[in-house]
Amino acid sequence: MKRRGSAGMAWALLRVWGAIGLQSFGGGASTVLLIQRTFVERRAWITAEEMNRFWGLCLLTPGINLVALTVLIGRRLGGARGVAASLAGLLLPSVAITCLLTAGFKLVQHSAVVHAVLRGVIPATAGIMGLVALNMAWPIVKTARREGARALAISLALMLCATLALSALRLPVAVVLIGMAALAVFVLP
Amino acid sequence: MINPLLYFVLFLKASLFSSGGFSNLPSLHQDLLGAHWAVDAEFGEALAIGQISPGPNGLWVISLGYLTYGVAGALLALIAIVLPALLVLAVAAIYARIARWDWVSGLMRGISLAVVGLMLTVFWTIMHQQSTDWTGWLIAAAAFGLAASRCVNIVVILALAGAAGYVLYR
Repeated sequence: MKRRGSAGMAWALLRVWGAIGLQSFGGGASTVLLIQRTFVERRAWITAEEMNRFWGLCLLTPGINLVALTVLIGRRLGGARGVAASLAGLLLPSVAITCLLTAGFKLVQHSAVVHAVLRGVIPATAGIMGLVALNMAWPIVKTARREGARALAISLALMLCATLALSALRLPVAVVLIGMAALAVFVLP
Repeated sequence: MINPLLYFVLFLKASLFSSGGFSNLPSLHQDLLGAHWAVDAEFGEALAIGQISPGPNGLWVISLGYLTYGVAGALLALIAIVLPALLVLAVAAIYARIARWDWVSGLMRGISLAVVGLMLTVFWTIMHQQSTDWTGWLIAAAAFGLAASRCVNIVVILALAGAAGYVLYR
């Protein structure tokens, strides 16, 4: 990454996060996908492994994980100014649009057309979420494959266990996180 | 009459004792309904808007703030969700201290694996929250494919999905 002055970096972060805050219609799924694409793929400011580690730390923090992720990425790239620029960039446009949609929704909420359109949009956000999951699984699978068949098999089995524990057994997220963390300490290198 | 300070404290409390965007719902539901500062329908509406609007789904509380207390409500809700997120800096500082210990890397790997499970669960929950038939799965698969191809902007993908919804379900 090219080194820039911290003020230059703060402006760059404000612009980049602003673009995410404006375009990420479809809620969290679109937002995470755009973050992965912008910071990991296009600009390569952050590695996929680092992104996964950040996300893990965000899950251990109260409140909205994506806002905490914004704080971590902002700090990593631009220090305290980076945090402020990143939060402002992501939240000002998205909060403004949320308010406008809220004001507009009252007028159209009973329209059959709006319901039909939403019924199309919601599965699309699920598809985007599937891609986000795949992007997060990729660096983990790559590392495990380097370590051999056993590590790969264990990693895939743990991923499956976590999914089933959350979706079929409906265990609380905190319980699954702690359980998986404890299991991994014993079974993974 | 809404008391702005108490209103803010209720939002902050809900956010501080939650993890993830929706888990602040029960606390807010209880408190705001109890104070007669919100009605039930406003929660459903705010949750729906949080799912379509840009940014985290957790921004549904901004919508709730706007519905119940106008622009001031939205601003107070915004401050209430940003403050707890800053605690991640403390979590990261603790992690930096213990990162050299052997078992910590295993621990973080376990959490990363659980994160993938969490994302897959979100996928599953979205697909099941309404009666999704094969057309819904087709839309999800198409959106996945288009997003993975990297040639189509997300806004365009969602617009196409909306158009498909209009044609299929009207």
